[in-house]
Amino acid sequence: MAADKKDVWQGTLALMVLKTLETLGPLHGYGIARRIEQTSGDLLSVNYGTLYPALLKLEQEGDISSEWGTSDNNRRAKYYKLTRAGRKRIEKEAREWEQTTAILARFLAPSEES
Amino acid sequence: MRALRTCLARFRGLFGKQRRDRELAAELESHVQLHIDENLRAGMPPEEARRQALIQLGGLEQTKEMYRELRGIPWFETTSQDIRFGLRMLRKNPGFTAVAVVTLALGIGANTAVFSIINGLMLRTLPVRDPGRLVELLHQYPGEPAFNGFSWDAYRTIRDGNHVFSDLIVGSLNSFTVRGDKLQPQTVFGGNVGGNFFEALGLQAAVGRLIGPEDVYMGYHAPVAVVSWSFWKARFDLDPEIIGRKIVVDDAPVTIVGVTQRGFYGLSEEAKQDIWLPVSLGPSPGWGFALLGRLKPGVSMEQARAQMAVLFQTVVNAPDAGPFVRRMKLRIEPAAHGVSTPLSAMLSTPLILLMGMVGLLLFLACANLAGLLLARAASRRHEMAVRVCLGAGRVRLIRQVLTESLLLSVTGSALGIFLAYFGARGLIRIFASGRQIVGLPINFEALSNPDWHVLLFTGAMAVATALLFGAAPAIRASGPISAQPLQEAARTGQSKSQKRFGKSLVVSQVALSVVLLTSAALFVSYLSHLRSLDPGFRRDHLLLVTLDTARSGYSEGQFERLSEQLVTELDAIPGVKSATVSDMSPMQGPGASAFAFEQGHLDNQHNVSINNVAPDYFETYGTPLLAGRSFSAEDQGKPPVAIMNQSAASDCFGNENPIGRHLTLSHITLTKSEITYEVIGVVGNAKYNDIDQPAPPTIYRDSVQGGFIDSQLAVRTSIAPDAVASEVRETEAAVLRTVPIAHIVTMNEQIDASIVPERLVATLSAWFGALGALLAAIGLYGLLTYTVAWRTHEIGVRMALGATRNDVVRMVLRDALWTVCAGLALGTPLSFWAKSVAASLIRGLPADNPMSIVFGGAVMIVLALAAAYIPARRAMRVDPMVALRCE
Repeated sequence: MAADKKDVWQGTLALMVLKTLETLGPLHGYGIARRIEQTSGDLLSVNYGTLYPALLKLEQEGDISSEWGTSDNNRRAKYYKLTRAGRKRIEKEAREWEQTTAILARFLAPSEES
Repeated sequence: MRALRTCLARFRGLFGKQRRDRELAAELESHVQLHIDENLRAGMPPEEARRQALIQLGGLEQTKEMYRELRGIPWFETTSQDIRFGLRMLRKNPGFTAVAVVTLALGIGANTAVFSIINGLMLRTLPVRDPGRLVELLHQYPGEPAFNGFSWDAYRTIRDGNHVFSDLIVGSLNSFTVRGDKLQPQTVFGGNVGGNFFEALGLQAAVGRLIGPEDVYMGYHAPVAVVSWSFWKARFDLDPEIIGRKIVVDDAPVTIVGVTQRGFYGLSEEAKQDIWLPVSLGPSPGWGFALLGRLKPGVSMEQARAQMAVLFQTVVNAPDAGPFVRRMKLRIEPAAHGVSTPLSAMLSTPLILLMGMVGLLLFLACANLAGLLLARAASRRHEMAVRVCLGAGRVRLIRQVLTESLLLSVTGSALGIFLAYFGARGLIRIFASGRQIVGLPINFEALSNPDWHVLLFTGAMAVATALLFGAAPAIRASGPISAQPLQEAARTGQSKSQKRFGKSLVVSQVALSVVLLTSAALFVSYLSHLRSLDPGFRRDHLLLVTLDTARSGYSEGQFERLSEQLVTELDAIPGVKSATVSDMSPMQGPGASAFAFEQGHLDNQHNVSINNVAPDYFETYGTPLLAGRSFSAEDQGKPPVAIMNQSAASDCFGNENPIGRHLTLSHITLTKSEITYEVIGVVGNAKYNDIDQPAPPTIYRDSVQGGFIDSQLAVRTSIAPDAVASEVRETEAAVLRTVPIAHIVTMNEQIDASIVPERLVATLSAWFGALGALLAAIGLYGLLTYTVAWRTHEIGVRMALGATRNDVVRMVLRDALWTVCAGLALGTPLSFWAKSVAASLIRGLPADNPMSIVFGGAVMIVLALAAAYIPARRAMRVDPMVALRCE
C-alpha cells in the first residue's frame, strides 16, 4: 500500500514544516502532519513519529518556537510558530531548492521520461 | 551562530530530563487524541479510530528515544553514565580500588617527578626571544669537562672577530651581599652583564628599564642594578616605587632602575639569579664570563663551529697566554635551554637512568593491575552476561570497563602529580647536597612546579596506563558472551586462552622485575666499589672544619700565630690524636693549579695541583711519606721548599730521584707569578676530585714558610669524630674570635658528598628493585591462588586417585617455578641490554660482572617459592570428599 508513496527525508521535511507554518500560522504537530499529507496530494506518507524529532531540531536551531495552547475542539496541544530566523531560512532554502530542481530538470529534459 | 544555538539548546537539554519527558509524552498524547477525534468525525468506530491513530504515529517508544537523542548530547550522557557506574563499582570494591590507585599514584608519581626535573633541566627553553638560535660557548682542556667561562680579553676577541653571531651575550654568575633600604644584609645570586645582555635576549622590563650599553659605559659614575620579578615580590612586595631606590651591593651603592619580566631567572633555568649589574661594576673574574651567542640568520651550527675554531686560535695563541691556555679548545653547543651548569652536567646521566627505571616500574605496575582486573573480569562475567541480555553492545561493554580503568588511572595520576611535586623537590635537595652543587642558587620552582609539559606528560601517561592495564581485561570481559554464563554463573570458569594470558602477565612482571633487580645490584655494587677505593689517606676518624676567613681582619702574621696556637690546643682535646691546617683537604674538589718544571727546563712543563699545608698535614691525614722528609720548623726563613706526590714526581723527574732538585711553579692559579722550590720529599698520591679517578699530580708547599692563610682544619681522632666536634667548635671560637666556622663534616661525609648521584641512583634503584619484586610476587601469588581455587575439583580427583599431598604441593610449586623460569628467560636478555645501556652512560660500571643478573634471578626464584607457599598449603589441604561433593 505504501509502496508507491515516498518517504520524506529530513532536509525537505524541515522545509515543508516551515512552509506549512508560514502559510497557516501557529499549528500543532498533528495539524502540521496532516497538512503536509494533504498538500502532497496524498503522495507522501508522513510517519507522524518522525515529525517530532524534526520539530525539536528546528526549535533548537531557533527557526520555530513553541507554546502550549488549546485546539478548536478544546484539546490542549503544543503550538509551533515561525520565528524571524525561520522566515529567512524559508527564503534561503526555497531559493536553493528551486535552483537544484531547475538544474536537475535541465539534465533530465532530453532523456526519456522515467 | 546556528550551530552555537543548537549546542546551547542541547546543553540545556541535559537538565530537567523528567520534565521534558513528561512534556513529550503529553504532546504525543494530544497528537493521538487529535487524530482520534478526526477519525471519529470520519465515522470510524472508537476502537478502530484509536488503532489507526497509533499506527500512523509509528513506534511510540522509538519516537521518544529518537527525540531524547536529539535533545541532549548522547555521547556525553552515556559517558557520564559510564563514569557514574564506574565510580559505583570502584566504591563497591574499596580494597581493590585503594591498591590500584596507590600503585598507580606511586608509579605515575615517580615518573612525573623524574620527568619534571628532566623537563626543567634539559627540555624547557629559556623565556627569551627565539631561544632556538642561541648557542653556548665552552672551553675545554683535553680530557676535562667543558666549561662556559672566558676571560674578558677572549670575549673581546670573539666579539670583534666573529661573523657568525648577530649578538654575543656576556654575563657572569656572582653572589653579592645586598643590604640597605630596609633590606637585611643577605647573599643574593646574580650576575654582571654586558650592555647588550637584555636587548639581545629580547627581554622586557616589568617596570622601569633594563641595563643597556650606556650603563656599562657609565660604570661607577652612575651605578645601576636590575632585580628579578621574584626578588621584587619577595623583598619589595611588588612596590611600584622600587625604581630609583638605592641599595648597597658588595659595599657599593647602586640605584635600582628596573625589574625583569616575570619568569626570567637568568641564563639557566635551574640556577636562580635575582640581581644584575653592569659588567663594569663587577670584579674581573678571570676566566669567569659566560658567553652566549645568537646565530645570524642562515648560519648553521657547523659553520659557526668551523669559523670559531679558527678565531679561537688567536685567543689561545695571544702572546701573554700561558702553556695552560694554549691547549684549550672551543666548543659550541645549542643553548635553547640556557647555559650548562654543574647541576645539569651532574644530573643528566642519573636522571636518564632513573627515568628508565621508573618507566620499567610503571610497566610492571600496569601488568600487575591488568592481572587484578582480569581476575575481576572473570568474576564479573555474570554481570556482563546480564548486560548483553539487556541489549548492551560489545563496544558499549568495552567502553564501560575502559572507563573504569581510566577512572583508576586518572585518580592515580592526580595523586601522582601531588606526590611528584614533593618527590622532585626531595630529589633535587639530595642532588643539591653534592659537593659540586653546594652553594648554587637552585631554582626549585622551575624544577619541581609542574608546567603544561609535565601535565601533558602525566595526562598522556594516565591514558596510556589505562589502555595498558585496561584494554586486555576490557576485551576479555566483553568477550564472546552468550546467555550461557547466566546458567553457570556460580562457577567462575576460565578459558584456556584466558589462563595463558593471565600467566603471560605474571611472566612479564617477573621479567621486568629481574631487570630492575639486576640494575639495582649493579648500581649498589658500583657504589660499594667506589667506597672501597683507596683515596690515598685514612678516611675514618677524621673531622674536617672549614673556616670562613674572608673577613677575619687578622694580618697574615697574626693569623699564622693564631692558627698554630689553635692546632696546639686542638691536639690537647681528649680523643684527638693530631690536628693540622691546610688550604685544601682531600676530596674537597679541585683547588689551585700551576705549571711545574725542573728549574730551567721550560720545555718540559706539567699541569699540577697545589696545596699549602702545615707541617703535620701528612701525619694527620695518614698519607705516607715515601722519600725525603716532611716540612719542619727549621725551614722558616730559608729558601722555599716543596713536597711532591708520587704522580707529580714521576711526571717531572721520571725515574730520577727528585729530592734536592729545584722545581719551578709558574702561572699559579692563572697568575703570572713564578717561584722555584727545593724538593725535600715525596709522598703517596691522595685523591682530591673524583674517587674513581687517579690522584692529580700535586705539589705541597709549606704554609708556615709561605705565610699562607689556610681555611681547612683537620682533626684526627681516636674516638668517633663527631664526638669531639663541639669541643673543636669551642676551641676554634676561643682562639680565632673573628673567624666563623663555615661547616664541619667528617671525611666520610665529604667523600659521600662527592658521589651523591651515584648514591642516590644506588638507593633508589634498590627501592625500585624491591618494589618491583614485591609486585611481581603479589602477581604470582594472585595467579597461583586463583589457579588452585579453580583446580580444586581436579586436585580432589587426583587425591582420590592416590596422589599424595607432596605430589599436590609439587604440582603447585612446579607451576610457580615454570612461570618464574619463563620470566627469567625473557628478563635475562633484557637485563643484559639494560646493563650495556647503563655501562654506556657511566664509565667504570662493572657491567661485565654477571653476578648482578644471577642475583636478580636468585631473588625472583626465592620470592616465587615464598609466593607459592600459601597456595601450595591450600592445595595440600584440599579434602577430596568435599571437593568432589561440590560438583
